[in-house]
Amino acid sequence: MGDISIQIGPVRFKNPVFIASGICGYAEEYSPLVNLSRLGGVVTKTITMLPRAGNLPPRIHEMPHGMLNSIGLENVGLDRYVNEKLPQLNQRPDVGVMVSVAAETEDEFIKLAERFAPMDGYAGLELNLSCPNVKGEALDQGRNPQLVEKISRIVKERIPKKSLWIKVTPNITDVGTVARAAEQGGADAIAAVNTLVGIDFDLETGKPVFARGSAGYSGPAILPIALQKVWECAKAVSIPIVGIGGIATIDDARKFFLAGATAIQVGTSLYNDPGLPERIVDALAENPEWMRARARASASPAA
Amino acid sequence: MGEFVPARAHEYHARVLSNVRLSRRYFLLRLERPRDFIDPAAGQFVHVAVPTPDDRFFLRRPFSIHDCTRDAIELVIVEVGPGSQALRRAREGDTLHFYGPLGHAYPVLPEKRIVAIGGGVGLAPLYFYGFRAPGKLGEGYRLLYGARTREDLFLEHVALERTGVSLATDDGSYGFKGNVVQLAAAVIEEEPADVLFSCGPTVMMKAVQKLADRLAIPHYASLENRMGCALGACRACVVPTKLDGGSPYRTVCHDGPVFDASVLQWDELPVP
Repeated sequence: MGDISIQIGPVRFKNPVFIASGICGYAEEYSPLVNLSRLGGVVTKTITMLPRAGNLPPRIHEMPHGMLNSIGLENVGLDRYVNEKLPQLNQRPDVGVMVSVAAETEDEFIKLAERFAPMDGYAGLELNLSCPNVKGEALDQGRNPQLVEKISRIVKERIPKKSLWIKVTPNITDVGTVARAAEQGGADAIAAVNTLVGIDFDLETGKPVFARGSAGYSGPAILPIALQKVWECAKAVSIPIVGIGGIATIDDARKFFLAGATAIQVGTSLYNDPGLPERIVDALAENPEWMRARARASASPAA
Repeated sequence: MGEFVPARAHEYHARVLSNVRLSRRYFLLRLERPRDFIDPAAGQFVHVAVPTPDDRFFLRRPFSIHDCTRDAIELVIVEVGPGSQALRRAREGDTLHFYGPLGHAYPVLPEKRIVAIGGGVGLAPLYFYGFRAPGKLGEGYRLLYGARTREDLFLEHVALERTGVSLATDDGSYGFKGNVVQLAAAVIEEEPADVLFSCGPTVMMKAVQKLADRLAIPHYASLENRMGCALGACRACVVPTKLDGGSPYRTVCHDGPVFDASVLQWDELPVP
């Protein structure tokens, strides 16, 4: 097994395989099934300033080759996260944790960043500027390059020794512009992509399946779209890209490296196949040179 | 919430021992019990991947354990859509992937007179409680089971008219004529109950809660829902409760599936 550790900003991760935000809660929930310490890390559920109850059920709906979700960022809120969940992580220094956060205003982002700044037990923050399942602001932030740059900057200034990832939306024509804005704001990586906006209808009621109508579509079906967005980001920025979207096999993961990613996150497929992230780690570690040679090489701006 | 059982879920690959039809809509799937599969408690479930040549069936399906012996885990599955139909086609010798046992179980109450009320596929955990763990059918545990018609009853293969079991059909084609909650009220009239258990359609369990309220006794209900992780992480399978703590929602997979039914917001539960 060779060294497949990676550097993202000021932080070294033991390998490039992560579990995506929203999939494995605050991390510990999946520990009966996944040896979390074998992964590069896990990204938590998104934390917000105040607790959120989340959306009215139903919240999940199987579709061919994937699913729609409408969770609505249900979470315990910043105080309880910092007081209850983060201390648990301090007991597991072997698990790399990126904390996903979202906020409605710049001021809230400043408060979140200042609260996290002196904390231990986590590797960095992934800013969720792209959740399709909440009212108004979050998705719009991720569509506005000026705002993305500003938010990246005000957060990075407050956590200089932590890794800052900006999670971008695929629901946009030019993802490269947003990625470039995040890079200019000082982000250490682009996490691409969040779920696609989708909707399904109940033929009996004639209404959308979800109370909110639109929801987030994820799963193997979105793989080529996610690869395309990573490819576009790779042409737009020189910071690392963390590829997310539809990874259901080891080969799917390899394709993200070909598209220009430095790391990957397994999301929805974990529900079907909890052993997948560890198998990807094993496959990459068998041939570390492959990963190093492919990462970015085929997707440089010149390509 | 129900009896606390710490999560010790593992991913297993188990051989199908048999897969037989029980009635018009139900079938019994028997899986080889993995050697390190811990003894499940009644009300716990396993999360089963649907065999599929591609990724057509993406989410796993949760099934309450109907029985678990030294050698086999038994699940009763009702055909409701393409996923359960794909499971019906599993053949002896096929391998299925699942993890478990998961969730909170029915409480073990040795000194109490329990009346358990099951409808449809909801019989599974109540059967398991009475016949296996803790297994006190007829000794303070009365099991009542209702279906629309005789053809939908699937208890016949094991236990028709066994001591402690009573059956009801809406059309009177077998046993008590009427719904199972009416049967419960009649049975309790004759010999009081200290606790009610239920598992079945939401409408039925809601009527059981009304009965529990009227009798002023506790009621533990096992719910079902579509699930993502089945580990309490993804918050997909939540139901509304009267509890707080930042959110009124609790997960069926981890806070349940067995709940102290008095905390549930019955009027807001989905009616499948």
